[in-house]
Amino acid sequence: MIQTIGLKKVFNTGGEKTSVLKGIDFSVQKGEFVAIMGPSGSGKSTLLQLLGGLDVPTEGAIKLDGVELQKKTEKQRTIIRRRKIGFVFQSYQLLPTLSVYENIAFPLHADGRKVDSVAIHELLNAVDLKGYDKRFPYELSGGQQQRVAIARALIHQPDILLADEPTGNLDRERSSDILDLLSAFHQDRGQTIVMVTHDLFAAGYADRIVLFKDGLIETEVQREDDDYAEFLSRFMA
Amino acid sequence: MSVKHSLLALLYEKPRHGYELKTGFDELVESMWPLNAGQVYTTLDRLERDNLVESPGHDLKDRKQYTITKQGKDELWNWLEKPVGRSLLKDEFYFKYLCASFVDYKDKQRMIQVQKQTMMKDVLNLTQLRKQMNQSGNKTMKMLVEGALLHLEADIKWLDMIARD
Repeated sequence: MIQTIGLKKVFNTGGEKTSVLKGIDFSVQKGEFVAIMGPSGSGKSTLLQLLGGLDVPTEGAIKLDGVELQKKTEKQRTIIRRRKIGFVFQSYQLLPTLSVYENIAFPLHADGRKVDSVAIHELLNAVDLKGYDKRFPYELSGGQQQRVAIARALIHQPDILLADEPTGNLDRERSSDILDLLSAFHQDRGQTIVMVTHDLFAAGYADRIVLFKDGLIETEVQREDDDYAEFLSRFMA
Repeated sequence: MSVKHSLLALLYEKPRHGYELKTGFDELVESMWPLNAGQVYTTLDRLERDNLVESPGHDLKDRKQYTITKQGKDELWNWLEKPVGRSLLKDEFYFKYLCASFVDYKDKQRMIQVQKQTMMKDVLNLTQLRKQMNQSGNKTMKMLVEGALLHLEADIKWLDMIARD
């Protein structure tokens, strides 16, 4: 579904070149839930920005369903992003003057699509915010705001959900709620998710963890049923 | 793990016969720790010998019933009250790391990385188990899994620390 080949990104800051991604070969299959972990500055958030077409690589390719994003103009990337990608950020990034309902409807407006009220209410139910449609972000807790942000990210039924530290501003209990929710969308609806996190507890929700270090993939591990049986017998030993 | 005390806990709840103790134990630990019927009966024999349980007789199906005695309850409370000392340094990987340093093992970084991969897999599997506990509604077992996850988090941080060393 999404693949990067030899992806490099160099930032020029004050005449100084900083190489953030140094050649990333990475792919995500449809229906996968992948967590990207690594220390600050290891390049994980930059990768997410590139996957979402918010920026272009210095070198290398990003293929989204076979379409090479880096070959597209900014305008074309915006259209692709609006149709195929949903974003969830650490700081929620809800529009403060819009109600919950209007925030969720926003991606449809931006793409010139008809607002589907039934779908919005269905999503509000799914994120456990039934009856909150007329409230404003300032009336909600952090966890509730992130739930709205998830509903907003999913209203246009994106092929892939990109989440950048979605639980970074939440305590462990609220984090669990958000991660349970993402996990439910992944399991029940087959939502493809790529989540950047520094939190091992959050990464455990994924099918696969990719560890970044100094702009490169250090290692990756995948959860498999055979491993699980072996793990259970070892866990109980 | 103390089979003795888990059987006392089950008998504290209500009188049971041997097979009920086996199924009760399986429920208590979500069938995660294997316990065979033989272990149950040998433990019951010892508990009865030590006057921690007693038998009021057999049920209608001729199965020997057991109840906890006053002494058994005291034993259970004493066990619950007593803190648990842990052997923090006696870890298999710690020992391996010590020996690797001793023989100046060249692939020490690789050894650390493979260990980290194993632990990351454990994180994925433990989270899966946590989800199962969520579904079964077993809050206590879920908390045990949370505890194991916190231990793993610390272990992985330590591996990163020695990898930088």
